[in-house]
Amino acid sequence: MNIWRIALKELLTLRDVKMLVFMIATPVLLVLILGTIVANGFHGSVAVGEIRVLYTNHSQEPILADSWNRFVEQSGRSGIAFERVRASADGKLEVENNRYVGYVEISDTGIKYYGNSRSRVESDIAQSMITAFEDRYRLASAVAKEDPEQAGVLLSGGESTDHVSETSVNGARQPGATDYYAIAMITLIVLYGAMTAAQLIETERKRRTAVRLLASPVTKAEIFAGKVAGNLLQNAIYILVVVLICKYMFNVYWGEHLGLVFLVLLSEIVFALSLGLGFSYIFREKAAGSILMMIIQVGAFVGGSYFPVDALSGFMRTVADFSPLEWTNDALLQIIYADHAAAAVQAISLNIGFSVLLLVAALLIMKRREGL
Amino acid sequence: MNILEIDRLSKTFGDFVAVDQVSLSIGEGEIFGFLGANGAGKSTTIHMIASLLRISKGEIRLLGKDITKHANFAKKNIGIVPQEIAIYEDMTAYENVRFFAGLYGIRGSELKERTLEALEFVGLGDKHAVYPKHFSGGMKRRLNIACAIAHRPKLLIMDEPTVGIDPQSRNHILNSVKKLNEMGCTILYTSHYMEEVEEICTRIAIIDHGKIIAQGTKKELKAIVTDQKNIWIEVRSTENADPGKLREIAGVKQVEIEDRVIKFTSDAGVNNLNKMIQQLMADEIEIRSVEEQEPNLESVFLTLTGRSLRD
Repeated sequence: MNIWRIALKELLTLRDVKMLVFMIATPVLLVLILGTIVANGFHGSVAVGEIRVLYTNHSQEPILADSWNRFVEQSGRSGIAFERVRASADGKLEVENNRYVGYVEISDTGIKYYGNSRSRVESDIAQSMITAFEDRYRLASAVAKEDPEQAGVLLSGGESTDHVSETSVNGARQPGATDYYAIAMITLIVLYGAMTAAQLIETERKRRTAVRLLASPVTKAEIFAGKVAGNLLQNAIYILVVVLICKYMFNVYWGEHLGLVFLVLLSEIVFALSLGLGFSYIFREKAAGSILMMIIQVGAFVGGSYFPVDALSGFMRTVADFSPLEWTNDALLQIIYADHAAAAVQAISLNIGFSVLLLVAALLIMKRREGL
Repeated sequence: MNILEIDRLSKTFGDFVAVDQVSLSIGEGEIFGFLGANGAGKSTTIHMIASLLRISKGEIRLLGKDITKHANFAKKNIGIVPQEIAIYEDMTAYENVRFFAGLYGIRGSELKERTLEALEFVGLGDKHAVYPKHFSGGMKRRLNIACAIAHRPKLLIMDEPTVGIDPQSRNHILNSVKKLNEMGCTILYTSHYMEEVEEICTRIAIIDHGKIIAQGTKKELKAIVTDQKNIWIEVRSTENADPGKLREIAGVKQVEIEDRVIKFTSDAGVNNLNKMIQQLMADEIEIRSVEEQEPNLESVFLTLTGRSLRD
């Protein structure tokens, strides 16, 4: 009962109009501003231009030459034109001059592909098809040593002539800038909640009300739980309002699993709270604030708060994997745009798992301390 | 019957001994003064009684029960008015009192009744819907008290409840303390204002360097100071007064100048009044009256600790 009383007391801060406006207006304004400014960087669809690829075939292998010709013919029917390089022309130069999306050199040692970086999408499609062809040819060559008849079947493509299969689901639905930043800004604001959480117990100490709380028949754990529950509810209300504003004012798409989206966000609120509280006990007050700020800033940068991070690789990818924003944003994008509800499990597990560790650490330290 | 019994209580912080083997008892219905200079161990003792600090050694019993073993019982029967104002500025006076009283298990209509009663008692009945940020210092102090009494504690600890407030609020608080006591509440009172302690306390303990150095009734404590006298000389102007010279007079231990009164603390056995007057006349200071003061708690404290309570 006392936990509920303390939680309700925390909720009274909702009456603070300035605070309410700040907590709701900040993410809404950021979504509006970033969604408008970066709108051109986000499109729901990608226009694919004409795909023309040059090639030279120096191979002496009749089977390869034969299969290649069949491949060129099939591709032509799909609208992808493979053209032999004229004797006077230089394939690489033609690509460099942006006249073709790629250039293929076929020899007995293998197939080499030169792509046009200015037509990346088209070049990638061509490359995927060539890779598929090459894989099939290699397989056929290996089989030919044992059973030449089966190799022929493989190279003719059997019943299938597909070289690239579509694997993305709901390709038509992609986040626009406002959609993306609605997710990114909400998760960022939630994580910033760690800064407030770091002050949760400290404010009771500063106001001296910690003395009264401890002198009353309430245990430290009850005070702790009440503060956490109150703050959790408070943040959940703020986030619910922001999500609804984004949905109805900016037409942000939240997918078919809004409940699951809230659950992931709720788990992030719990994480942010635990991070703030945990750090406020593990580190000294000011140090905790600085460390949290650093974690949030780096986490936001690599976690997709300012720009999508699909293209990150190497060291930055590894850093990004440790960002709570990355795993939360990624889960939300998958739930909303790929209809992949199971993505919630990993994000919720990580958020709650780390929360448990941080809260247990804070509780243990608090128990050992005199006072709160 | 004793409401509170403290037996060889000690508190250490690392190597530092803040409270050293303190023993005292407070009878039911008393207003017990607890005096000590800053850092003497007074607040540490109070905090251990209120279960805010762990006890290193010794025992505290409230109504015969060990407070460590019966923490909830002890907490329900103790109220604390902390030295610093401990209220929520973003909650109204009513919400503050109601919240803290609610933590003591009071519910429903009783909670509402007790909350309003406590606010009425401290003279804030008509301000129940006002946020404390609109209160004067004195009103905040009174709300600080209301938050501690709504659950009707048997023992109320008041730690410097009148610091930094106007005389009107101080009088209100002192009257409230007396009234609470008449209603059956035992009070443990600390203050830097000796006149307050003299006015309301029935028994007093003095703590210094973590140890109780004296305890008893006001009369018993004043009886300790038989070897010194206090002479107050009122003058027209203290402009020419030279405390250095006055202190050189045989037997004089201390000289304080307040407004137009020169206060001498001197050995009782030395007849030096003439010399004091002669020195003042030599300094061309016009004397208006001479008075020998009865020993007061201030002089008792000074004698026992070697310093003033406000040092």
